[in-house]
Amino acid sequence: MIKTSSLPLGRISLLLAIFVWLALVLVDLVRIFGMINNLESGISEEVTWILEILFFLFVYLVYRHIFWKNRNADFLTLIWRGVSTGLFAAASGLLTELIYLAFGESKIGTDPFLSNIFYHINFGWTSAFLISTALLWRHLILYQKNKQVVKQWQVFELSMLGALFFIFFNHNNLDYSFLFGLVILLIISILLAVNLKWIPYLNFKEKWRTLLFLFLILLSAGILFYRVLSYGNEARLQINLTDNLFLMALFGFVFAYGLFSFLVTLFNLPTSSVFEQKLTEAINFQKLSQSIQPEENEEQVLDILLDSCMSASYSDGAWIELNPKEHIQVKNSLRLLDRSTQTGLSTLFPQETQSWTFSLTTEQIQALRLNHPEYKSALLVPLVVNKSILARIVLLKEVKEGFNKEMIGIIGTFARQACIAVENHRLLNQAIENERYQEELKIAQRVQKALLPLKLDHPDTFEISAYSNTADEVGGDYYDTYQVDPNHFVVIMGDVSGKGTSAAFHMAQMKGVFQSLIQLGLKPAEFMKKANAALSKCLERNHFITASVFEINTATHTFCHARAGHIPTLWYRANEKTATFISIEGLGLGIVRNPSYQKHVHESTYDYQTGDLLVLLTDGILEGRNEKGEQFGYERLKNLVEAKHQLSPPTLQQEIIDSLHQFVGGDGMIEDDYSLLVIKFTKPE
Amino acid sequence: MLRIEKTREGKNDILHLIGEVDASNSVLLDQSIQEVVQQGTSFLLIDGKELGYISSAGLGVFMSYLDDFSERGIRFAIFGLNDQVGEVFKILGLDRLISIVPDKSTAIASQHES
Repeated sequence: MIKTSSLPLGRISLLLAIFVWLALVLVDLVRIFGMINNLESGISEEVTWILEILFFLFVYLVYRHIFWKNRNADFLTLIWRGVSTGLFAAASGLLTELIYLAFGESKIGTDPFLSNIFYHINFGWTSAFLISTALLWRHLILYQKNKQVVKQWQVFELSMLGALFFIFFNHNNLDYSFLFGLVILLIISILLAVNLKWIPYLNFKEKWRTLLFLFLILLSAGILFYRVLSYGNEARLQINLTDNLFLMALFGFVFAYGLFSFLVTLFNLPTSSVFEQKLTEAINFQKLSQSIQPEENEEQVLDILLDSCMSASYSDGAWIELNPKEHIQVKNSLRLLDRSTQTGLSTLFPQETQSWTFSLTTEQIQALRLNHPEYKSALLVPLVVNKSILARIVLLKEVKEGFNKEMIGIIGTFARQACIAVENHRLLNQAIENERYQEELKIAQRVQKALLPLKLDHPDTFEISAYSNTADEVGGDYYDTYQVDPNHFVVIMGDVSGKGTSAAFHMAQMKGVFQSLIQLGLKPAEFMKKANAALSKCLERNHFITASVFEINTATHTFCHARAGHIPTLWYRANEKTATFISIEGLGLGIVRNPSYQKHVHESTYDYQTGDLLVLLTDGILEGRNEKGEQFGYERLKNLVEAKHQLSPPTLQQEIIDSLHQFVGGDGMIEDDYSLLVIKFTKPE
Repeated sequence: MLRIEKTREGKNDILHLIGEVDASNSVLLDQSIQEVVQQGTSFLLIDGKELGYISSAGLGVFMSYLDDFSERGIRFAIFGLNDQVGEVFKILGLDRLISIVPDKSTAIASQHES
């Protein structure tokens, strides 16, 4: 909003300034005509003064606007603007003088109207130069603002405003009040002129250019001031615009600040390299801090560090050597050196400083004296990350004891900053990687959940319910059902050794094996043999799977059961009102990986009654431990099922899980995956 | 928590397992058996008197060496298991493949019988 409204403001001010200037010329010509011809022109001198003040104000607005638009330009560009205006104003002044010298006492040379027009032109340019330069000084003074400086400047501006209207008070005379006002304004100018904080920010070259520019400004101001003084003494000009307190004070201010700046810049020249050095160090420091971003690699950090250390110590050569254990490569490991010189130099270092093991010697920055034809001193800078040495920077100088305390201090800071950057970089990458693993695990979890059946195959004659919980994101427990024909149902529960991701993979294999083999209509023991053969080919050597398989025949009210190393199934018999674990011999799958496995698996057929329960489970349930270290165990499960046998499978299952959690309690733990599958034979065919 | 103490009595190597074997430390057990096998032994005994718990991962370690033992002619026995741990071996069916005996003397005696 400010921008759109400010654009025409600058142009309007410019037009108004030109308009007021033209009016001023016209008014003054009329007045001169009147004076020469002794006529009452009817225009009082106050009109001239008012127009003059308006002209100053509009020029001020024009330049305020220009500076506001260029507020982000660098010092030299701004100063150059001042210089160009000054040179132009001074040149036009000198040109006028030349013209008058050429015409001498001719008619044109003495024509009061023409000379007045020239005078007005010079007055306009001088005002423009002074106001623009004053605003330039304002920009420089307020470069590093604080409350006090802003206050000082406001006082100055108000005083200048006062000076603008002073003409009404003293009627253009150089009396004592004029001098008094001038002295006060000069004192304020000098007080303001000590604000030179922009100068140290210039580099050596810029300082030279600034000196030249300031000299030109001072020269222009000098020429213009001389011209103004000479106008004052010329008798042919009846109207004096330039014996004005405002203008004189501006001259004073422009001179004072210009001179101060010139001198301070001049005396700053010899020390500017130190300022520049500090500035480079600060920038390097910032670069090192910024190189923490994940997309930048460690090599870049080390590269920046090597350059920073070299410039901080004015080294004549340097190299970086990396700990062979770290997997980083730096392309430009040598600076201002060749490989053979480097090898030659490293033999000169004491043995203990060459070691990569972390010790009191190797973690410190060390200054060494060298017995080398070219390089006389060296600085070893280790980069320590997490109590191990990541790399070592070697800085070389051709002079003896070339590294002072200051340099070692700043280099130490650089090294620490770089190490923090590297460390943060690694941590960040680790965090990103972890995040990705978590994401992958979530996917695995989802995939695995889908491996367990949502719907369990069963007829009206038995109810079935299953539950599985994993200790980690994914687990190795497995259950499934398969309907062979209307009267034959197969139920399996399996447990893969171990837990976590490897168990989950094997569980998926188990599902594949079950779903393929069971379609062949195998009896439980035969299924186990085939499954053992298949799994022997795909399980790692130290992994195995235990399984319980039930083939339920609802027509004959029998189930055929085989167990491969799995936790025995609890069978509640309604007519006996007792539960027993079905003990049948059987070796886990994948333990014996040859046909001799068939000796180790057996099957048995049992008759069941209505109201009978089968509780299939994995060892996670039995091994749940309370704070005393006791296991939930077979007995507790058996007693619970006997007591709650009348419940439906889902309720009984929930009951078992609840009492397991109750048993384990807050401090106890269930470290393993645990699963439960409950079958209840409900009604006869 | 698992500590494994290795002793040698004549030609018999005894690994004394103290604590619990689970997925996190079954590697230790594996390393110890590996060492004994590589050094060359004729009879490896596992002293399980102070073994409080063994998970399937621990059982997997024993299981993975069974073929190795028979190929190299190394006899292998576990003794002194408490009831709970013994039950775990039994349920898996490993008691049919590994000689699991009450104490060391029975284990050594069984060697002379065969």
